[in-house]
Amino acid sequence: MASISTREIRTTLFVIVTVIVFVFILFPPFVLLLTSIKREVDALSFPPKWIFRPTGSNYVEIFQTSPFLRYLLNSLIVASTNTLASVGLGSLAAYGFARFKFKGSDNLAFWILSTRMMPPVASIIPVYIIMKTLRILDTPWCLVIIYLTINLPFAVWMMKGFFEDIPREIEESALLDACSEFKVFRKIALPLAAPGLAATAILSFIFSWNEFLFALILTGTRAVTVPVGIIGYMKESGILWGYMTAGGTLALIPVIILTIFSQRHLVKGLTFGALK
Amino acid sequence: MVPLALVYHSDLEKNRVGEPVFIGFLRRRRTLLLFIAPTVGVLLAIVIFPLFFSLALSFFDWNVIQAEPWSWVGLGNYSTILFQDPYFRTSLTVTVLYLLGTVPLQLVLGLIVALILNRIGQKIINSLRTILVIPAMMTPLIVGIIWRLMYNPDMGMLNYFLSLLHLHPIIWTGMPATALPSVMIADIWEWTPFIALILLAGLQAIPVEPLEGARVDGASGWQTLRFVVLPLLSPVILVAVLIRLMDSFKTFDLIFVLTQGGPGMRTEILNYYTYRNGFKFFHMGYASALSWLLVIILNVISMILGRTLRSRGLYAAGR
Repeated sequence: MASISTREIRTTLFVIVTVIVFVFILFPPFVLLLTSIKREVDALSFPPKWIFRPTGSNYVEIFQTSPFLRYLLNSLIVASTNTLASVGLGSLAAYGFARFKFKGSDNLAFWILSTRMMPPVASIIPVYIIMKTLRILDTPWCLVIIYLTINLPFAVWMMKGFFEDIPREIEESALLDACSEFKVFRKIALPLAAPGLAATAILSFIFSWNEFLFALILTGTRAVTVPVGIIGYMKESGILWGYMTAGGTLALIPVIILTIFSQRHLVKGLTFGALK
Repeated sequence: MVPLALVYHSDLEKNRVGEPVFIGFLRRRRTLLLFIAPTVGVLLAIVIFPLFFSLALSFFDWNVIQAEPWSWVGLGNYSTILFQDPYFRTSLTVTVLYLLGTVPLQLVLGLIVALILNRIGQKIINSLRTILVIPAMMTPLIVGIIWRLMYNPDMGMLNYFLSLLHLHPIIWTGMPATALPSVMIADIWEWTPFIALILLAGLQAIPVEPLEGARVDGASGWQTLRFVVLPLLSPVILVAVLIRLMDSFKTFDLIFVLTQGGPGMRTEILNYYTYRNGFKFFHMGYASALSWLLVIILNVISMILGRTLRSRGLYAAGR
């Protein structure tokens, strides 16, 4: 009996620690949400007010007095266009790597992975000069293109794993029926890898949505995305906490929804397919 | 009989009569080219070309503001960085402190959380898994904003908790002593749950037999952890550490929002120092040289990561 009770104590202890850990994780985003529905007087009071009249005015005002809608649209355009391109090109290459073994194919695949590791700071100066020469600075296009450096290698590695999971026999029979390799890819492999494709697309979208450094340097006024727009609420005269927290909360909503949808593949995605 | 391997039409074709060998090779490989070449081409254009562009820039002295033409300085920028620039040394120290203060702590805390969750039961884990990954998926810039809110000396939650404990308020990100630890805490908050998630996945993939064996042999909980679980988990730990190490070198958003590298240079890691040289001081050549030092460091880590992934143990286990 004694051993059972120590086990019970231990389990209780584990549960308590777990609760503390999750409170620690969830508390900071909760503060963001809380501040976003406070009036300025309540937000700036110390000690922080736990009971107050919630207001939606911050959420209304960022759309009325700042171009937050345009930031959202820009982010949406950049992230979705980039995701289409990354997943399109990436799954082609991934299929190539998964199905055609050739001399140096492993090295080439790892080279592609290593391009993702390069620091954005290292390429940002040339990229700025190139985009300026091409006259596409401060347009969504320059971000669509440059986010391929993040998402294309990612898509290749994710999709490579999913294609490798498809049994080859299915494709072999189609090949024997004299379908071209490309047709086999399009009609058989791609539909079979559809869940993986969706997860890859979702994660690519989130990575584009979250990116800040390139967007900060390459956009100025017209193509400003949400993170850069939110930074604009830090004025010389002071921080517009209401706008910042409301904008931050709005920007996080799609991220959290998409994360929940793709959670089965997240570990794989964030470790470049090294772990499932 | 064809064995269990795909036979492609292209492999069966031979060089046509009178066709150069290389052209024949390309024609037979056209499918492969169709699949892989677009990606390789795009990456050459948007990753490799800019990198070599910046390598070229690093041999010049070019300040955009002074509107002077580029002047060739050879390895001058590099020798200045390595032998004369005291700020570089400060920044290097800050970088090392930052890495040492975040990655090992994230690993230890993540391991503890993973071990506890592993004991608690599958049902609970499944519902908590999403929460564990949320800080890592959140927009890093907004993570910075959240922590700036928490650290705010006048109305922030942290000083509120200090006041509840009758402690003096702290100017978290504004004082030399606490600025770097403040950024580190935000980083630890952002990434520890993710490390825990990875390690939890690793723990759950450990086969039952060795654990049973250890129990039968009368090993204590600690001995089982030390001699059975950790060795089996080591490839996963290595991947987690390498990925985190690379990301830590590239930390930008958090520092941008929380401290802008200050006070003084207390939080100015190499990545941020490079950014400031390029886009605050407009020393483009100098910043390029700095960034190439970063490229070299990150390349070394990514080669080690590549080798780890390739070594049979992990890469095979991952699939």
